[in-house]
Amino acid sequence: MKKRVFAAVVAAAMVVTAFTGCGSTGSSAGSDSKSEAKAEVPTEPFGDTVKYDPSVELNDGKDITVELWEWGSDELFQQIIDGYTAIHPNVTINLVDNPWEDYWTKLPLALDGNNGPAIFNVHNSYHENLINYMAPLDIPTEDLEADFNGVSAHVIDGKVYYIDYGMMTGSVYYNKDMWEKAGLTDDDIPKTWDEMIEVAKKLTIKDGDKIVQAGLNFNDDFHQNYLLGLNYQLGENLFKEDGVTPNVNSDAMKKVMQMLVDMYDVDGIGSKDFGEKAADSFGQGQSAMVIQWGHYYNTLKTTWSNIDFGVFEIPTFDGEPYAYNRYNGESTFGVNKNAPADQQAVAQDFVKYFLANDDAQIAFNLAMSTFPAKKSLADNEKILENPSLKVLSEHIDHYIWPGPMPATVETSLKKAGEDVFFNGVDIDTALDEAEANITKDMKNSTFKSVENLYEYAK
Amino acid sequence: MKRKVSSIALNALLLILGVVTVYPFVWMIFSSFKENQEIMALEQHLLPQKFIIDNYINMNAHFNFVRFFLNSIVITVVITLIVIYTSTICGFVLSKYKFKGRNILFGFVLSTMMIPWCVTIIPKYSMIQAFGWMDSYKALIIPAMFSGFGIFMMKQHISALPDEILEAARIDGANEFYIFHKIVLPMSKNGIFSIAIFQFLWTWEDFLWPYLVITNKDKQLLAVGLKMFNGQYSTDYGALFAATAISIIPVLLIYLFFQKQFIAGIAASAVKG
Repeated sequence: MKKRVFAAVVAAAMVVTAFTGCGSTGSSAGSDSKSEAKAEVPTEPFGDTVKYDPSVELNDGKDITVELWEWGSDELFQQIIDGYTAIHPNVTINLVDNPWEDYWTKLPLALDGNNGPAIFNVHNSYHENLINYMAPLDIPTEDLEADFNGVSAHVIDGKVYYIDYGMMTGSVYYNKDMWEKAGLTDDDIPKTWDEMIEVAKKLTIKDGDKIVQAGLNFNDDFHQNYLLGLNYQLGENLFKEDGVTPNVNSDAMKKVMQMLVDMYDVDGIGSKDFGEKAADSFGQGQSAMVIQWGHYYNTLKTTWSNIDFGVFEIPTFDGEPYAYNRYNGESTFGVNKNAPADQQAVAQDFVKYFLANDDAQIAFNLAMSTFPAKKSLADNEKILENPSLKVLSEHIDHYIWPGPMPATVETSLKKAGEDVFFNGVDIDTALDEAEANITKDMKNSTFKSVENLYEYAK
Repeated sequence: MKRKVSSIALNALLLILGVVTVYPFVWMIFSSFKENQEIMALEQHLLPQKFIIDNYINMNAHFNFVRFFLNSIVITVVITLIVIYTSTICGFVLSKYKFKGRNILFGFVLSTMMIPWCVTIIPKYSMIQAFGWMDSYKALIIPAMFSGFGIFMMKQHISALPDEILEAARIDGANEFYIFHKIVLPMSKNGIFSIAIFQFLWTWEDFLWPYLVITNKDKQLLAVGLKMFNGQYSTDYGALFAATAISIIPVLLIYLFFQKQFIAGIAASAVKG
């Protein structure tokens, strides 16, 4: 018996070792790992208005170690850390990779004590959980505003704690093979919703009444990609003038919801029962067009690499929208205000290095498929090589960020749409309930919309 | 004849239930040899249409799999051994010694099983922080040293041991320490195996606590590593399935070798007391 156990354990250990390449790490995830190609060390100050001077010594040249917590993109972060520590060899930045969901449980707990990371990655959907642990950036707001779009929306009592390095929004992804088979060309790229519906009709294939190929699929994500964005095309904000009262039972929202219902029920270009999730359905070759946010570009490149796809800008109702769509920002790092002063100084310096460094800005935006918030990179060649970013370049100033909205706005509108599609609830009642629900859930929220800061706000 | 028919029907039912239970596991194993595209394809096949082993080779792209695996083995074995010992000795005391407040003490042990973990996790975290045990295996091992369930199981089990054997040992001059280690422990083998399997499994798959208290990636455990495959926008299913397939090997081995004792131990604890 003992021999059997021992033999089995040894065999299992051999299997594990063999399958995983003798334990060698394939990534540069190790905190002490360095990129194989040695990073070029700048000696002159660089940046636009926010400048970084590499000749300034940190921590009086004494060794210092800080932690940087992030989720998901350890190689990307390691690259920028390597570049930074090449300038400052006395600084060690330990990168700690975290799973996305649970990061938001661990991070606030750590920041509440003395052992939290000096630098941490931020997502604005967790703004309320993090803002009280963050130190304001040591960079003048005017300098940030000179270099980056959307800074004013991040100013709190005259201070900025984080800004967006990139802007993500929705675009239309279409299957090029299906497009060609339907006899469509580049000239048929729709500019308006009416044109979009006509194109979708040509892309829809039916066997009797049964859909075999959907022209357009918005199942499961209509709330994010349509309801929370197309209202702007019709000149309506998501929140009323006070910035806190939801405005989801508006005429604009009703019109958008009615358009979605008609697309399936009247135009027959898709069905609530065909392709349960729009994003997967497009990847599985079931649906010819979907509206998805920038991250979908990476998903198509990695998971659905067999799909030959194109991207075009979201259509509008009349060609001259108040704004094209809603966007959300990918945020710069947070600096832990409870960290020791010397670590905070390194963290502040690291954020400045990140903001001034164009290569880092480009790398992060391409990795996340976000349009650069840095003004000087709007027409950068590498950025425009990415088709999902290129389609945004012309009208990027016509996208609105409502601020870090509480999750109830999304979930309540999702329920409203599901009630309309699946439970036979009329649009007025469904949106009425959604509005009441959002109002109730936001009672204790400190959120205030920043839609009024939109460049072309009425 | 009637008996034969009912036996066939029963076996058929058990076979169906067995297949239903095992199928997702088999599907996961086969899917670990598929590309993500095939795993998420509309038309599903059990066997890979394109057989690849890249998911196994590339597992380390997300974290150092072998390191996490070995860390998990060490921590799980240590905690399991400690829990076996503490559960058995507490079970022995609570079942074979008569003293004032014994039932209250046992009630207190039982009550620890009735408090949901989510209620205690924040105070536990604050305590670990105050003790300076963050990022140390002390934070994993010390709070797990005593198991209410283990003490309960072993008390039930040891109650069934005849008092006469212990009395005879005492008459022969054995001290309590000797009686526990040389008589009670060997005679509780089945109960110990049951506790061992339960505790091993719980510790092996525990995610949240190790994630909260361990930050250094050289010390991190496998259950935490497996979560790294879930990204913000997508999941690397192929690599996740490959890593999961390997991560369940120790648990399978434990079941494989100790299943007889496990069943006997559970049965004994259920009927005696």
